[in-house]
Formats: sequence, structure tokens, C-alpha cells
Amino acid sequence: MPLKIQPAVIGCVIRPVITGRDRSLEEIMYDTAQLALADAGITIDDIDGIVVASNDQFDGRAISVMMASSALGGVDRDILSTPSASEHAFVLGALRVASGQYRTQLIVSWSPTEASSLSEAQRLGADPYYHRALPLDELSSHALQAAALEHAVPGARAMAQAVVAKNRRHGEAAYPGLAGQGARGNARWPIAADMTTAPVTGAVGIILASPEFVRERGVAAPAWLRGMGWATEAAFLGDRDLATAPALAEAARQAYADAGVTAADIDVAEIVDASPYAELLAYEALSLAPRSEWAARLADGSFGAGGRLPVNLSGGVLTYNPVFCTGLIRIAEIANQVRGRAGTHQKPGAKLGIAQAGSGFAMQYQAAVILGKEARA
Amino acid sequence: MELLGRQEVWNITYDHALGETASFFFGQIRDNKRLFGRRCAKSNRVLVPPRAFSDETLLPTTEWVEVGPAGKIEAFTMVYEAFNNLPDPPYAFGYVLLDGADTALGGYFKGIDLSDPDAAAAKLAIGTRVMTKFREVRKGDALDFWFEIA
Repeated sequence: MPLKIQPAVIGCVIRPVITGRDRSLEEIMYDTAQLALADAGITIDDIDGIVVASNDQFDGRAISVMMASSALGGVDRDILSTPSASEHAFVLGALRVASGQYRTQLIVSWSPTEASSLSEAQRLGADPYYHRALPLDELSSHALQAAALEHAVPGARAMAQAVVAKNRRHGEAAYPGLAGQGARGNARWPIAADMTTAPVTGAVGIILASPEFVRERGVAAPAWLRGMGWATEAAFLGDRDLATAPALAEAARQAYADAGVTAADIDVAEIVDASPYAELLAYEALSLAPRSEWAARLADGSFGAGGRLPVNLSGGVLTYNPVFCTGLIRIAEIANQVRGRAGTHQKPGAKLGIAQAGSGFAMQYQAAVILGKEARA
Repeated sequence: MELLGRQEVWNITYDHALGETASFFFGQIRDNKRLFGRRCAKSNRVLVPPRAFSDETLLPTTEWVEVGPAGKIEAFTMVYEAFNNLPDPPYAFGYVLLDGADTALGGYFKGIDLSDPDAAAAKLAIGTRVMTKFREVRKGDALDFWFEIA
């Protein structure tokens, strides 16, 4: 059901790679919030509520929102946390604006690399009864999904390699300082090392506002939330058909229905390519292309820059991989596209975009967010 | 200026309660080298590893059903880097749909030369029949069993 009050993104900051050790994690959060507020042309005094998303195991802090409160302006102000996924912070923030109880929300997510191993930290996500004794981190789960997809779709590996080549080309144009320079990730058969990129420290901030606020402040180019959906798959991988993405299909159905559009109306898309196989599955679940057409669409450049529906003009996770916030970053990238602020990777005239955000083991959590240049009629 | 860091190592021990369902499952593996799932009476699905309730129907499962020890591979991968408190790499692991089960059980694959990944992958092809093997001395945990090509 469409939201009664339609939120808009009025400010964004993407910090794809934060290097150096001159800022502590709290200071990185502070910087990110201030940059997002500046991009929106407002101050913290304009913010009614804050939603943050972070991973306590990555942060090395229990309930890391406790330390975020001071850095983000949460003292004596409403602040909540969604440790499940960065994109869930956007969902919660949007629902809070849509409730009519808030005019604005500050959404911030971060993903540090201070832990000795993010893989070990991710293993804490597996249940301690049946799966903790397996090397089950997110990359392993993506590899299990990739193997299942290779079995179900002949030629899937060549398609995955085409996705990698496309996203690397896009990344070199979008973030020339980053693309191709990041360390390769680890290999897990059938995922080759050059299909992933090593984790980096990064952060993202988004400002959401109500139509009333947009009107009052005369915001020139907001990205209106046209539709969103989210859904979750079973926690045990053995319960799932890993060669499909039913939760994303459901999330996309909700988002398209809310927006009153179809995939044919979309100008630009961002997908969490934690592995290229995950991007392939998203083509189908988002109704961009059924699996029978994946090879043809990749070969004819449909999803490339200049194609009918460019996917991951940012270069995707393959270009910069702050692991926990890659979902919210996809939403921010699409917001910047429809705001006309995507810089060197702007698609000219982009009016409607879709962001897919998946996270957890083999994309257990799935979300789809449609943002538009125009508010709904 | 000199930028300082602070390295911390935390060592917390958790004593997780497995509950009756997982306790029975691992007890049968430890004591009898037998594998069991739980049936949901409404959906008739046999859940392996066993759950006290079905996450589809949200009803308590009602019946123990012996499954395996044979089954077929549903998904697999090969891992080349070391993890804390796990066997030395490389190793293969994945999910096996045991005979009589409706959901797949995670475990290691052994008895396959992993030095040539493509050759190993061919042997581990999805759908391949496997047999569950059990450790001689069993502790009642997930390392008590593994799968080998049948």
C-alpha cells in the first residue's frame, strides 16, 4: 500500500573509502552526519529523529548506537538502530516520516575494518547449534549460492564474469581513484578472487524529509520515495533454494505496486553485487531480465553505461566494499542519480531508479527501493 | 603527529543451551551414528537439522523421523583460507538433502582431492549421491559427521 505521506531524500553523502587513522570511528560518524546535513542544506536542529545501522561485531562495540548518539546528535533527540541491515535504517526512517510524526530523519550507517577478520565476525551470524562449526561467513554463503546458480543456469559463470567486467568498467569511470585498486577478495569456489573486492572502511548518510518540509524549504531536487518493499528468507541455507531469490521478488513486487510502475519504467538501477551471481539473481527478481535473457542482455550492453537500463553505474560493491553499509549506499547512489547529483557516473535525464539491497547469508534480507525525480501524482 | 591505536582481544566463553531437539539430534549421532529430523504434521515436511517448530507453519513439530545416512548434494563450495577453531584448509563444505528429509543439512565433504578445484567441483556436482560418515570418537557436535561421495 503506498505511503500516505511520501518521504523524499533531500541530502546524501557517500564515503566510499575512508583511509588513514586520523579519525576515530565516532569522529567518522560525526563527519558523515555533518556532510549529509550540509548536502541537504540543513542543520541538526532541523532533524526530528535519527536511525542508524551498524554491526556491533565489526565495530567492536556492544549496542554501538550507544556511542553513535553523541556523534550524530542523538543526545536528547530520538535515535534508533537497525543492526539487521543498513537498508533497514532507510526503511524505518521512511516509515517514520510517512507516519506523520516526524518531518525529517537522519539515516547513517558505517562499516569499519578494525576487526582482525570480518569473516570471523560474520561467523557469529551462524547459529551456534548446527552451523557454527562450518566456515560459514558471507562469502561462503555467496559461493554456495553461486554453485547452486551454476547448476541451475548453464553458462552462469560466463555471465558472472560479464557482470564483473561491466562493473569494473563502470567503477573506473565513476570512482577512478578506487576502481581496480582495491585488493581482491578471497576466493571460494566458484567465486574467483577477481569477482570480489576486499572490505574497506566506509560510511553513508541520508536525510529524509516530508513533503511539507520539502515545500517549506524549497528543496530544489529531492528524490521522492515512490515505493519500497522488503522481505526475509529462511535463516538456514539448507531450507532454501539458493538458485532463486523469492524474498527479493516479493520485495520488488511491493515496491513496484506502491510506485505504480513496472521494470520497463526504470531508468537506472543499483544492485548489491556482493558476488556477481547475486547481481544475476537480482535481474530476475527485480523483473529486469529473466534468467533465459541474462546472457543476451549482458552481451548487448543493456545493463551497461549507455544501455537501456544501466545497472551499477557506480561500479557496485566490486568498486568499493564497506561491507555492512553497501545496501544503504545503493539507495544513496540511486537518490543521487534522480537528484542529478551522481557526478561522473550520472545517467543523463534519469527520472526513476531502483535500488536493491541484500544482506546477510546468501542475501537473507532483501529490499527494493524506487526513487523518482517527480513525486507521485 | 603520532597516531595511536589500541588493540584489544576479548575472550568470552558462551555456554549455549541446545534445547531438547538439538540435544536429541546430536545425542543420536554421538551414541548411535543415526540421523533424525522432525516432521511438521501440517505441512508434512521433515526438517533437518531438526527444529522444535516449523518456521513455515509456526506449529510445533510432532514426530522424529530417521533420515539418511545417504543423500544428495544440494550446494557446495571449497574454502582455501583458515578460520579460527576450524580444520586446516583447504576443505569443501555444503548442504546435503538426506534421504527422507525435506531440508538440507550442512557439513563437510571429505575424501576428495581439492588440489585441482575444477576436478573436485566435478566430483561434488549438485545432485551427486553421498553417504554420511561418522567420526570414531564422537562428542555430539557437527564435526562428528561428514559426507563422502557414495
